[in-house]
This record gives sequence, C-alpha cells and structure tokens, in this order.
Amino acid sequence: MAEEVVTCRRVSRTYAEEAVPVHALCRVDFELAAGEWVSLAGPSGSGKSTLLHVIGGLDQPTEGSIVVDGVEITGLAAADLSDLRLHKIGFVFQAYNLIPVLSALENVEFILQLQGVGRAERRQRSLETLDSLGIPELADRRPGEMSGGQQQRVAIARAIVTNPVLLLADEPSANLDTATTEELLDVLRNLNRSRGVTIVTATHDPMVMGYTSRQVNLRDGRVVTTGS
Amino acid sequence: MTRETGPPGGDPENSRSEFSNAPARGRNRIPVRLLLQFSWRNLWRHRRRNGILLSAIAVAVAGVLLLNTLLRGMQYDMMNTAIDNLTGHVKVLAPGYLDDPGIERGFDTPPDWQQVLDPDAVEGWAARIRVPAVIMSERETRGIQLVGIDPEQESISFLHTAAIEGERLTGRGDRRLVIGQRLADDLATLPGRRLVLVTQGADGRTREAGFRIAGIYRAEMSLVESAFVFTGRDALQDLLGTGDVTEISVRLADAPREAETMAALATAFEDLDVLSWRQLEPQAATMVAFADTSIYIYFLIVMGALVFGLVNTLVTAVMERIRELGMLRALGMRPRSVVAQVVTESSLIMATGVAIGIAVAGGVFSLVADGIDLTAFDDSLASFGMRPIFVPVVEATDVVLVAVMSLALGLVASFYPARRAVKIKPLEALQRR
Ligand SMILES: Nc1ncnc2c1ncn2[C@@H]1O[C@H](COP(=O)(O)OP(=O)(O)OP(=O)(O)O)[C@@H](O)[C@H]1O
Ligand SMILES: [Mg+2]
Repeated sequence: MAEEVVTCRRVSRTYAEEAVPVHALCRVDFELAAGEWVSLAGPSGSGKSTLLHVIGGLDQPTEGSIVVDGVEITGLAAADLSDLRLHKIGFVFQAYNLIPVLSALENVEFILQLQGVGRAERRQRSLETLDSLGIPELADRRPGEMSGGQQQRVAIARAIVTNPVLLLADEPSANLDTATTEELLDVLRNLNRSRGVTIVTATHDPMVMGYTSRQVNLRDGRVVTTGS
Repeated sequence: MTRETGPPGGDPENSRSEFSNAPARGRNRIPVRLLLQFSWRNLWRHRRRNGILLSAIAVAVAGVLLLNTLLRGMQYDMMNTAIDNLTGHVKVLAPGYLDDPGIERGFDTPPDWQQVLDPDAVEGWAARIRVPAVIMSERETRGIQLVGIDPEQESISFLHTAAIEGERLTGRGDRRLVIGQRLADDLATLPGRRLVLVTQGADGRTREAGFRIAGIYRAEMSLVESAFVFTGRDALQDLLGTGDVTEISVRLADAPREAETMAALATAFEDLDVLSWRQLEPQAATMVAFADTSIYIYFLIVMGALVFGLVNTLVTAVMERIRELGMLRALGMRPRSVVAQVVTESSLIMATGVAIGIAVAGGVFSLVADGIDLTAFDDSLASFGMRPIFVPVVEATDVVLVAVMSLALGLVASFYPARRAVKIKPLEALQRR
C-alpha cells in the first residue's frame, strides 16, 4: 500500500458558540494515500469544507488527531501552522483569492518568495508552472483582467508551484461553466496522474466526482460511505 | 504512485524535525522585499485616499521645517545681536561689575594675557572701559553708557559695520564722541557740535568735560543707539584718571569652543569673572533655549494631529483587505509578517510624505533664503533682540530630526492597525463575502 499522506483519527469539530452546539465534524476517520484524488461529497452543511480546513491546518479540531505527511498537526502554534500551509499544502478556493495588485506571475511567485526561494529560481519555477497549466500568456495580467476560469488556473498554479504534499480544493468549479470546469478537471487530472499530486476536492458537482479515484460521502459531520 | 518531492512519511519525530528544519532558508525571516512590493502597490491602489494623506503629511512636514528655519533664524539673530552688542561670546569682568558697573571695578591687563587664546578659535578681542555717565546738550540730558574703545579692536562688534554720519574715531587717543542716531535725535544735536559728559573718576570724584561729536552711528536696534556713546579708550582713561579697563570681550571664530576658551581665560585672569554670552544676556539666552524646545512642540502639535489620520487610513486599509490578509495567512504568511506588512505600509506612506515635504520646504525656502524685510515692525522686534532683515536658517540636524521623528510616529501609528491585522483569522476572513 502506498504511504499515507493524511491520517485523521476520531476528528471532531464542534462549534460551541451557538445556543445548540453544531457538530460540523463528528469522530471522523479518514485516510489519504499518496497519489490519490479523493472527492468529498455530501449535502450542504455536511462538513466537507470543515474537513478540508482541519486537514490543511486552517482550522483546529476540537478532538482527535490529524497527521499530515508524518507530522501531528493538532496543537501546533499559529506560526508552525503557517509553515505547514506554506510548505506542504496547496489551497484552491471557490473564490480565487488572487491578490489584485499583483500580476498572475507575481501571484504565483510570491508564495516562493514567502518560502525564501531565490529570485531566479522563483521566476523560472513560476513560469514553468503557468506553462504546464497552459496559461503562459497570462503571466503579466492582473486578476481584474482575467476570466474566472483563467483566475482559477492561476490559483491552481499558485497552489502547486511549491510542489505541495497535498492539494486541497474547495468547490473549485462552483463559479465556472461546464466547458471551463472540464478544462479545470483535465488540469487536475493531469497533475494527479503525471506529477503524482495528491488531491482532495470538496464539491457538489457530479462532474468532479467522475474524475476522482475515490469518493467519501459525508452527512451531518460523519463519514457515511467511502468507495471508488 | 509516489510524490515527486519531500521525504517519505514514517517516524513522526523525524518527520517533525524535518518539517521544522527543511525550509530553514525561508523560516523566521520576514520577506522584506515582498512586503515593500505589496506596500508600494497598495499605495497606488487607493490613489485618492493616499494622495490626500500624503499631501497632509507633506504640508505638515514642510510647515514644521519652514517654521523651524524661522525659529532658527530668530534664534541666530537673537544670539548674534546679543553677541554683537559689545558682549562677544565670552567676557572678562571684575566680580560685581554687572550689579554695580563703574571704573572702581576696573582691572589691569597683565602683559601678554592674550597668549592663552588659541588664535584658531578666536576671531578677535577688545579691551574696553565702560562706565555709566550722564550726557547733556544745550537742551536735553540723558543717562548713557560711556564706552572707551580701541577702534582697531572693534571689528568684533556691530560698530565695525555700522553706518556713520560724520567721522569714525581715528584711534584710542581720539577725544571725540561717536553717538547713536536715536540719542542724537533726543539731544537734538549734530556731528561737530559739543556735548558735556558727567561721570565718576577713579578717585570717586565727579568728572565733567566737554566733547565734540565726530560722528553719529546707526544700529539695527534703536535701543542700542540711545544707550552707547563711544570715545577713545586712552582719552577716557585720562578723563577718569586710570590705566584700567573694565572688560575684555572675546569673539570666537568657532562657537562650540566656548568652554575651552573660557577655561583658558580663567587661568590668565584668576581674580576676575569669565562669563559667557548666555550669562551676560540671560533674556536672549532664554529665548534661544525656548526656540530649541518650541521646535519639538510645533512638531508634536502638527504631526501629532496627523497621526490620527494615518491610523485611520491604515485601519481602513486593513479592514478592507481582511479577505486578502486572511488569504495571505491561509497560504502560509506568518502572523509576524502580517504585522510587518502593516508597519511597512505605514512607514512607506510616512517616508514618501516626509520626502515630498522636505522637497516642498526646500522649494519654499529657496524663495526666502535671502531674508525677509521686517522694517515695518522695527521697534517691536528690536525689543526681542531681532533685526529688521530676517534671515531664516536651515540646520541639517533639524531636517534629520523631523524626518526621524516622523518615521518614528509612523511606526507608532501602525501599532494599532497591525494588531487588528494580526487578529484576523484566515478562515473567518476567507468566509466573509
Ligand atoms: N464559523 C462557524 N460557526 C458556526 N457553525 C459553523 C461555522 N462554520 C461552519 N459551521 C457549521 O458547520 C457545519 C458544516 O459546515 P461546512 O461548511 O463544513 O459544510 P459544507 O459541507 O462545506 O457545506 P457546503 O456544501 O454548503 O459548502 C454546518 O452546519 C455549518 O453551519
Ligand atoms: Mg463548503
């Protein structure tokens, strides 16, 4: 069996601030092997985003253990979680979240800059990544000058330029039309197959589910079924 | 299938230390260039808002700097006037002379005393007799200070450059008078006419003698014109029956060497007082010291008000970028880098504003550098020790001081906005719509 990139054991995330505590995740067990592409499915409010967030170190579970690439990440300090996200995780959000004052190339490059990668290497890796996603011509455009699909590709470039252990994508196709979604999914499949990037997507979109190697269904914060 | 990069999983301890150490080249370091780049672009993102703020900072900085040059000009003026008016930087006097001036407080000058002075530090010196006297024309009587001088030594005082109607004194034996325009008006007299002087001789007896007026001088302050009457030192010594002088005034070429010169003079004149212009003209000295302090006061008032504008702009900038900052955090920017980002932005705005302000001040200053004519206010200004042509003065240290204090304020102003920014939780920020 391939090595495990993510191991969740009895992970719960409870929002206690509300009058009635909300169990966004309830004792979830979840494993992810290297090279998999898993899609999280389930109705709205079932905990898909929450699971992505705790795996990616954006949110802390109230209970349980999460090991990412061999490191127990529950209880890590904010700065260490920042480093985890910077070096091991790539995020793609529904809203593309590019920085409006930076060009596409700079949006990709600044992640490497945060990592402390030198200027020449940074530039080269960023250009290569844009190239591999088929958008070298967008390098000098700012987000305001790009379509949604183009922005989403730049966001993916930003997420994978660091060669992350894990690519997490929350509703990546929600704002895209069918044709663009198909292109996006081809890009992700290509990354998954040829570069071996491990991917988790959370989505309602049946098109996405058709591409993935495994599907995990959630309901009310619990894993109900899992299968290919 | 295996990943391309990164170590295999397995032993958590190993992996953990790998996780902390591997990215060492980027860890714990704040990406300064990146932050500068963001800040610079953000400055241009809200041109109008930042433009207004920058103008306000620039105007304030320029205002403070120009006010500074006026204050410095005033300060120099008061100092120079005080020094010019027979005071010099340093003066040797008999103890008690200041409270009760008179020839009985005269002293002998030891031969070669001036050898204690460093010729590089000293511009010149003058030995004088200065006694209170009463002067009379046919019509009027006035109390004055009668000063016996060696005209050749007076290059150190205002007399040297003063305009004279009639003639100057020709030497220390010249037995004529040079009086001020104001006194001449009061006494209704003219060059060539005679005046009678009454004063006390060295033996304590009253002396009375007639003198002819050689010339009438103009001073920048009418107060001076009515106070000082000059004659040759030898002639005055004859009249008073003494060989003494009452003061030696030293003007320095190099003002900071005052203390050293005073110490040297003290060795040459052991029983006498060696006083600086600050002790001799305490009022002017207080004004000069006040000008030093008021620079800070003006700075704090003007720039202090601006800090609120800066804080407001920064907080607004943080609030409208919550999503963006949250996203940067989500992608792995450390909290301290977020703080650094706000601080950088604040500093950049301040630095740009200060640079523009200095340029504006420089431009305005070049228009008034030759001096501002204040003749219309002559008399009232004179009582403050100021001259009718007012020359503003730039001191490099003031410019540096204002710049440094402004940047420090910029740092202070970014404190609260930075706190706001660092409290942003990446997840909450991303979920905001
Ligand atoms: N900040 C929060 N405070 C309180 N409850 C929250 C918060 N965030 C999420 N929840 C709750 O947690 C549960 C799981 O939410 P989550 O966003 O993970 O669902 P989801 O499966 O991603 O839904 P969707 O398909 O609509 O994106 C929901 O009931 C939601 O209301
Ligand atoms: Mg969701």
